[in-house]
Amino acid sequence: MTHSLAQQTPKLGSRASRWGAIALVIGVVALAAAAYLGWSKGDGFKRLQHAWLVACAFYLSISLGGLFFVIIQHLTRAGWSVVVRRVAELVAANTLVIAILFAPLVVMVLRGDASLYPWADAEHVHAEPLLAAKAPWLDPRFFALRCAVYFGTWWLIGRWLLKRSTEQDAATGVEPTLALERRAAPAMVGFALTINFAAFDLLMSIVPTWYSTMFGVYIFAGSVMSFFAFSVVALRFLQKNGLLDREVNVEHYHDLGKFLFAFVFFWSYVAFSQFMLIWYADIPEETFWFKERMEGSWAVVSTVLLFGHFVLPFAGLLSRHAKRRLGILTFWAVWLLVMQAVDLFWLVMPSAEHGGALVGAIDIACLAAVGGIWAFALTKLAGERALIPVNDPRLSQSLAFENF
Amino acid sequence: MVESVAIQNASERPLHGVLAEFDDVDSISAAAREVRDAGYTSFDVYSPFPIHGIERHMGLRPTKLPWIVLVCGLSGTSLALFFQWWTNAVDYPFTISGKPLFGIPANIPVTFEFTVLLSAFAAFFGMLILNRLPEHHRPVFESSRFRRATDDGFFLAIEADDPQFDATKTRALLQKLSRHPVELYHDSGQSAALPVWIRSALVAAGALALLPLAAVVWARASDTTRPPIHIVQDMDSQQRFRAQVANQVFADGRAMRPDSIGTVAWGELRTDATVASGKSGDAFLDTIPVPVTDAVIARGRERFAVYCTPCHGQSGYGDGLVALRAAELQEQTWVQPSSLHDPLVRTRTVGQIFDTIRNGVRTMPAYGRQMSAEDSWAITAYVRALQRSQNATINDVPAAERAKLGVQ
Amino acid sequence: MTANPTSALHLDEPYARPILIDGDRDLASVTRRVCGVVEAPKPPRAWYIAITITSAMTVMLFAMVAYLIVTGVGVWGNNSPAFWGWDIVNFVFWVGIAHAGTLISAILFLLRQKWRTSINRAAEAMTLFAVCCAGLYPSIHVGRVWLAYWLFPVPNQMQMWPNFRSPLLWDVFAVSTYAIVSLLFWYMGLVPDLATLRDRATTKLRKGLYGFFALGWCGSARHWQRYERAYLILAALATPLVLSVHSVVSFDFAVSQVPGWHTTIFPPYFVAGAIFSGFGMVVTTMVPARELFGLKELVTLKHLENMNKVILATGSMVGLAYATEFFIAWYGGNPYERFVFLNRALGPYWWAYWLMVFCNVVAPQFLWFKKIRTSLWTMFVISIFVNIGMWLERFVIVVTSLTRDYLPTSWGYFKPTAVDVCTFAGTFGLFLTLFLLFCRFLPMVAIAEVKTVLPAAHPHGGHGSKEGAHHG
Repeated sequence: MTHSLAQQTPKLGSRASRWGAIALVIGVVALAAAAYLGWSKGDGFKRLQHAWLVACAFYLSISLGGLFFVIIQHLTRAGWSVVVRRVAELVAANTLVIAILFAPLVVMVLRGDASLYPWADAEHVHAEPLLAAKAPWLDPRFFALRCAVYFGTWWLIGRWLLKRSTEQDAATGVEPTLALERRAAPAMVGFALTINFAAFDLLMSIVPTWYSTMFGVYIFAGSVMSFFAFSVVALRFLQKNGLLDREVNVEHYHDLGKFLFAFVFFWSYVAFSQFMLIWYADIPEETFWFKERMEGSWAVVSTVLLFGHFVLPFAGLLSRHAKRRLGILTFWAVWLLVMQAVDLFWLVMPSAEHGGALVGAIDIACLAAVGGIWAFALTKLAGERALIPVNDPRLSQSLAFENF
Repeated sequence: MVESVAIQNASERPLHGVLAEFDDVDSISAAAREVRDAGYTSFDVYSPFPIHGIERHMGLRPTKLPWIVLVCGLSGTSLALFFQWWTNAVDYPFTISGKPLFGIPANIPVTFEFTVLLSAFAAFFGMLILNRLPEHHRPVFESSRFRRATDDGFFLAIEADDPQFDATKTRALLQKLSRHPVELYHDSGQSAALPVWIRSALVAAGALALLPLAAVVWARASDTTRPPIHIVQDMDSQQRFRAQVANQVFADGRAMRPDSIGTVAWGELRTDATVASGKSGDAFLDTIPVPVTDAVIARGRERFAVYCTPCHGQSGYGDGLVALRAAELQEQTWVQPSSLHDPLVRTRTVGQIFDTIRNGVRTMPAYGRQMSAEDSWAITAYVRALQRSQNATINDVPAAERAKLGVQ
Repeated sequence: MTANPTSALHLDEPYARPILIDGDRDLASVTRRVCGVVEAPKPPRAWYIAITITSAMTVMLFAMVAYLIVTGVGVWGNNSPAFWGWDIVNFVFWVGIAHAGTLISAILFLLRQKWRTSINRAAEAMTLFAVCCAGLYPSIHVGRVWLAYWLFPVPNQMQMWPNFRSPLLWDVFAVSTYAIVSLLFWYMGLVPDLATLRDRATTKLRKGLYGFFALGWCGSARHWQRYERAYLILAALATPLVLSVHSVVSFDFAVSQVPGWHTTIFPPYFVAGAIFSGFGMVVTTMVPARELFGLKELVTLKHLENMNKVILATGSMVGLAYATEFFIAWYGGNPYERFVFLNRALGPYWWAYWLMVFCNVVAPQFLWFKKIRTSLWTMFVISIFVNIGMWLERFVIVVTSLTRDYLPTSWGYFKPTAVDVCTFAGTFGLFLTLFLLFCRFLPMVAIAEVKTVLPAAHPHGGHGSKEGAHHG
């Protein structure tokens, strides 16, 4: 059980700069393409802003899911997850880059450009009584301040978790681990508050007259699910490249798979409850949001979500066998990442594409641009860090872990 | 009880197997491996709690329970969906709160619960059936040491029906593995069936349990003229007198009391017979018996819009929306509403028009119950104004207005 | 108050998994300690005193129910505009309490939280008893109880079927499924322990009774294999089930258009609240029960502390849900919604609202302090607050919305009657009586499951050892 890990700490090493460079090139090229495509639409960058929001939200949700995962592992003093935790810590700490990429949208709001957030136009807000009633909240400067608080909180928590965990790598005692366990609970409070209100601000307020109290939970469910999917994909990628192949085994994938399955179900539960309650009460102030998504080609996207985000992965991941076959598990992980993107597209894009669900090159370009830059930042963070917490007191439990 | 019998007759009954005791998880796991490797298949390990990994040591195959659960769960899903569709959309369809008869969102919760219910039944009863439980008499219970299998003892038994079984060799094998004495045990002297008195009690209880059901069936299948039995005297039997029954308390012997002399029903107080009937004696009035002011005409116009326009139309030509629709559908029984500008109507007295509003004419219903006499007069006044407006000459326009229009 | 608290409390050292029980840790002593309670010739005197009081309360419950049935629902305070009163408040309250058992047995099982083994049996029993109390209310509030079968889709003389699109019917299915599955789960867990009692029985009667229900369990590995698989499947089924039950209960309110009820966060918020109240009740009952029956070494302070942490977590979730609801009521801009929430805080029921906020949100925050969450007295007091607070939450939701909805002409003020109060007190009598009987006659701690977390159950001595320390 004790083995020579300490001598052979798994690190990205030279791969970091190579992968980082590839990611950066993809990101910058895609960014240029997105900018050109957005400009060529001639709609005052309206479509580009929507696609950009989808892309930022996609990677942000993975990072936030990772943040949740890391905090909960410390909170519950989990043993099984130690070998997969460092990857999660890196993902969770990688929010600053999204804050920077998201900043242009905030600048647009501050400049009064209402093409993404309609409430950014003060005249429009005052003309419509329903919006005037919430004007104090949907105020551009207040919004910018809140964004700073959200991203600041995530960045601080993520960085701190990574920093203390890295300290443990070299520490002789267990003080960093104990500190992580002590601070995990307040971190969770900060996380819960910010993700809930950030969901309202960043995503729900693009249709400022619509509201749903469960929206934060919905975003949370999708985030955690996409993190587990990303985690499976990332670990498989590292293992294909000869990293972590002794440390992470099928038992860990099995557990990640169980959580993936659980959050597929949880997302479905939240999505169904939100839809059913609004459908059943049938109040026009609320139903218009779903009506828009149930007409024309948006109905197709809704159906894709129903089957692709719930029915098929649910059936696919139900059996123990599927969760322990890495090929099958990785397939569903990739599938669910795509579905998370579709979900965000479905949440955001009807505001820009009233006519129907048009996926354009611009959407792919934005996802690739944010993804490339985000992945570049990830390799920078990973850098010379070990890819597992090599000195974690519970590492041996994790290595020896077996499902029953 | 069982045990003393077992010990007495042990030698007479056939051998069932060999039982060995072990101290801990490690030794019994090792023993299970040895026994498996020696080629035995009909053997079992008994422990007070599930031993992690023992199924590998024993060479057991995974249970097929999950498949049973899956099949039952899916049956639950489809059964629930089918049943909800059949009851609410086919057999007894009714619309409620604008929901579709079979709208999937509203049918999900019951479907989910039923899926879980059948799956849980499958898991629990499937486990019992696969384990052949309940089975209260087991040959291994012959050993008094075996009681500790539910406390802190670990046992391994190789059964006699194993092809490899050989009383001496098998016993020697186990004795090699265990540091406790190995013992032989025999087939249970008790029959697996329940004792006769329990069986007869169960049959009797079952028969008794059927009685209420039989009573319900009998009651539902037979007719009776007697009133139903009310265990709880609720709203079916209230302390009141029904209509048209006798009651000796009152001099006239009736339970229903007539109105007191001079009672006027709500809204029925008629102080002026002329205003109320539109007649003076038997003749219809030819002037409106209430003052006609702008306010009255306005009131009449508003009431006319409410009660008259659906058939007679805004201008009174008999072209209201209902009439148009009826004409469009070519309704056979529909009688075209009169035009109020028909000479026949125009020449009627106001009393006749009022009477028509109050009491109806031909297929036109009576509106007397729906509005006050004053409102009927207001409508009458408005109808007169309407008739005048549609048949006016230039002479009807006041001179000042005529000047404005530039006509003489 | 505790014999040896220090050994239980300093086990968060990250190298070792915490040792889950105190005192002797061999298999036989666990059996002896748990069975000792059941096999003792006489229960403690406190048990007699307690059961006398609670059975008197139960008798009062039956008297109240009989009075209700004979007279009609008018004996309660329900009247226009509050047609739902304490009946649904108490129903939701008890269903909520019922959530802890299945959460501990199913969700914590799937999450491999081994500390659950000491408390899951008692918590599952509480689930069943709480479901009994909860199920009582819908069946008696229909007025003519002999027609309560109309709730179920059975062919009847009117040739009608129930409306499957109604959330109240979903409730019937959810609560009865929950009751059945919880019973199966509980009974299945009991089977090996009943076999233990059977094998230790000294009288024919005990041997016969425990033996009958033990189904002839013999601890065979082949049986254990299927048993464990079935247990896992039941846990996996019970986990979404427990989520669904209180969600469905929340749908009763949330599908309507009544301001303050129609809000999409209700399902997860009700579930969090239910778990919160359930754990509150488990702490309230386990603190005295472990003292009374000498199970302090099996149900350690560590277990109670963990439960307190769950209370803190779910209490904070409930607090976040309150805040979100309030915020969206304002943000939504709907004047009725805004009014209802202001009215909750400042209207005629302000006392209930602020007491609720104090009990559910403020009081659990004291559990951030280790001293408070490991002291029996403070945790007991806080758990009582939680029980009160969660009852008030349902009261606030039901009554404030109904007495102040769209039409000011139909506003009112709900007042319970003495029958309401006595019925509710009676359900506590029923719950506690059943619990006391359970403590006396059935193993209060899952013997077989506790054994699986003992060092003896782990072939390589992995449990609680310091093998991790070798790793550098």
